[in-house]
Amino acid sequence: MKKITLNQKKTSTIGLEFDELIPDNVYTWEKADFEKYQVPIGNSKFPFTDYFDVEVEGSAEAPNEVIITINGDLRRVKYIGTKMTAGEIIANSSVDLHCGSEMAGGSITVNGDAESYAGREMTGGTLTIKGSTREFCGSSYIGDWRGMTGGQIIIDGSAGKQLGECLTGGEIHVKGNCDILAGIHMTKGLIQIDGDVTRWPGGQMQGGNILIKGKLSRLLEGFVDAEVVTNPEIAGKTFTGRYIKYTGDIARNGKGNLYLDADKNRNFLGNY
Amino acid sequence: MVEYILKNGIVFDPTNNIKGEKKDVAFSNGKIVEDVSSDAKVIDVTDKLVMAAGVDPHSHIAGPKLVVGRLYRPEDSRKGIVPAKGVTRSETGFSVPSCPATGYRYSRMGYGTVVEAAMPPLEAKHTHEEIMTIPNIDVPALPLFGNNWFVLEYARDGKVDELAAFVAKWLKLVKGYGIKIVNPCGGEAWGWGMNVHGVDDPAPYWDVTAREVVRTLAKVNEKLGLPHSIHLHPNDLGHPGNDLTTLESMKMVSDIKKSSGVRNQNLHMTHIQYHSYSGTNWRDFKSGAEGVAKYINSNDHVTCDVGQITLDETTTMTADGPMEFDLHQLNGLKWANKDIELETASGIVPFIYSGRNSVHSVQWAIGLELFLGIKNPWQVMLTTDSPNAGPFIRYPRVISWLMSNKRRMEMIENREVHKAVEKKSSLATLDREYGFDEIATISRAGPAKAYGFTDRGHLGVGANADIAVYDLEPNNIDPSVEHEQIEKAFGNALYTIKNGQTLVKDGEVVAIKQSQNIWTNVQGLEAEEAAVMKEVMPVFNKYYTIKFENYKVHDHFVSNPIEVKVQAGKASK
Repeated sequence: MKKITLNQKKTSTIGLEFDELIPDNVYTWEKADFEKYQVPIGNSKFPFTDYFDVEVEGSAEAPNEVIITINGDLRRVKYIGTKMTAGEIIANSSVDLHCGSEMAGGSITVNGDAESYAGREMTGGTLTIKGSTREFCGSSYIGDWRGMTGGQIIIDGSAGKQLGECLTGGEIHVKGNCDILAGIHMTKGLIQIDGDVTRWPGGQMQGGNILIKGKLSRLLEGFVDAEVVTNPEIAGKTFTGRYIKYTGDIARNGKGNLYLDADKNRNFLGNY
Repeated sequence: MVEYILKNGIVFDPTNNIKGEKKDVAFSNGKIVEDVSSDAKVIDVTDKLVMAAGVDPHSHIAGPKLVVGRLYRPEDSRKGIVPAKGVTRSETGFSVPSCPATGYRYSRMGYGTVVEAAMPPLEAKHTHEEIMTIPNIDVPALPLFGNNWFVLEYARDGKVDELAAFVAKWLKLVKGYGIKIVNPCGGEAWGWGMNVHGVDDPAPYWDVTAREVVRTLAKVNEKLGLPHSIHLHPNDLGHPGNDLTTLESMKMVSDIKKSSGVRNQNLHMTHIQYHSYSGTNWRDFKSGAEGVAKYINSNDHVTCDVGQITLDETTTMTADGPMEFDLHQLNGLKWANKDIELETASGIVPFIYSGRNSVHSVQWAIGLELFLGIKNPWQVMLTTDSPNAGPFIRYPRVISWLMSNKRRMEMIENREVHKAVEKKSSLATLDREYGFDEIATISRAGPAKAYGFTDRGHLGVGANADIAVYDLEPNNIDPSVEHEQIEKAFGNALYTIKNGQTLVKDGEVVAIKQSQNIWTNVQGLEAEEAAVMKEVMPVFNKYYTIKFENYKVHDHFVSNPIEVKVQAGKASK
């Protein structure tokens, strides 16, 4: 097992781009390799060791034998773990945009908040955010219609707008609250939100499941055929309690399922 | 004056009946010459494959649809990113590449000329501006005439002379090379949310049919003696059962006498793969390639390009607006639509061609069936209707399929394509394999002849020194087995030489040359054109949203033009 520890020496007002510093690329690197490495910042590159001290312990035969720990203030460090396929990254700070985007395997733990586009278009692996995240977590990137297709995102805090936009597979679990349009355009996969949801989850969804344990303020008109179900089993998991189950979004002939906690959303239950 | 000689290459030059001879190719001052002095710079290409630079007869590389494609498909632009290096600027895009990337990528494949196959006259100015930013290739553009209100009216009234004057005038105005027709009458119908089916279904409110439009424009084309024939995207693209429409589209101009000239055909059928579908719906859909190939084999008045499916995620873009709407309904992906006033429709939809899909796989097989079923390689040309059936950078892969039955059978047997290929096409029974001479014919000599080019597409004395050298030794390779090497080599030319200048060496772009636009200037009808403009102007002023003064493509919009002068009624030589 190889342990790589990156201790921040100084911050930058322009974001450092860490997409090359993934286990897939650095599992053979020694300290000298990091000392030679130039990190992209804006449209230029600078010596990596101007910004981070590097400690390397042990050795690795493959990316899955690498743990990268990053210490410091990482709020201006982007693309942590982008496209990684194996290994582990631990970021002991809040992180900037695109953390875990397009990751295919391995795990990332963010001991803080994550900026927008965390886990966008990821296909596998696990991204755990101990704090909150902002917009487009687990979504597609601009223009595309395919968001996260596999893997798991766990958010201990809250999530911003358009969580799981165009979700095409995988699971997102938000333990806190969630802003508008969670699961918009989703076609597959599961979004579980334990807290409250602002409004309009599942807009234009065509498939997949959204389960909300908290209170929902407003539901779109395209969710119909409501029924109350008890202890539903969704994607191999059993969720205890009573839920109002909707089908939608009929605006797109959708066959997705939206589950609302029946006790916390009695205002919706009143009609059924 | 610097002289050059390519020494000891294995030359394939179908125009001059050279089939794999070991010989030198000399050039000086941008032209192929008989011989050079002993001071000539020697480029040693011993035993390497030498051909004229490629000529692409049908591709979509410049114009408003490309811009819209890039704008609304940022996910495509994020693919194919190559940083700036040496003389090149950065590249972006896969199916809709950036303008510099378009030039570099064609150049790396050994191409020198690419026809932009659909230029809406109203958007011609922008098309030419974009051509100006595409380096290293010459680009003629074909203006769209098949749904133009003036054309519909003249065709309905049988006014061939007036329409001839109109076309001559419009080619001058928009700096166009020839006559492009897309889904005749269907584009106009789309303005009313409708389409036409078959060649005898009239455009709503016009009382004119595709048959009348195509026949009249074919007569006009021959009357003017344009270097290229009419270039037809027939009705019913992509519809099961459209093979009957395609056959009728070819038959209906068979009696129109071709004006003498370089070309043999009076009709070029484009992306004919999309028009060779049998059946009545997508369930009983099957190949209609055999019937279409049979007609072409029996009739020399037709040439075609294939529009080979490459099994990629791509961007469809065409002036066939109603077809794009059908496609959007079929795949549910995002859709862009634009009505070009009195001239044409247009639409764009992303599409994912997959070998796991039965229909896509049969489409793939139909394209190959046509390549293999059409006996005369001068009548069939290599295209992917880029980017519609796949991006042009896949030409080397298509070449490898054509040269290797083994590879085709591998794809069928290994289920890289759907098993429906075996049931719904005859591809598995076709064991023909193209040789280098046939590849040279379908990718340079044939398209050049069909377009009436005498200065390119061959290596005869006096031709432009547009030359491609590939890292292949034709006498020491079995393309049937070494198909991967074929694909690699045709994608990375050892040398691409354009007008005597080396633009690519060892697969890398080493020099940049400004593109040239080739357009046709019809002369001798000035009085007729003036008379027609008297009829046209009141309608133009009433219905167009711009002033006529702003319509014309002024000279400074045109990239380093090559003007092909044609005396009306006398065919270009």
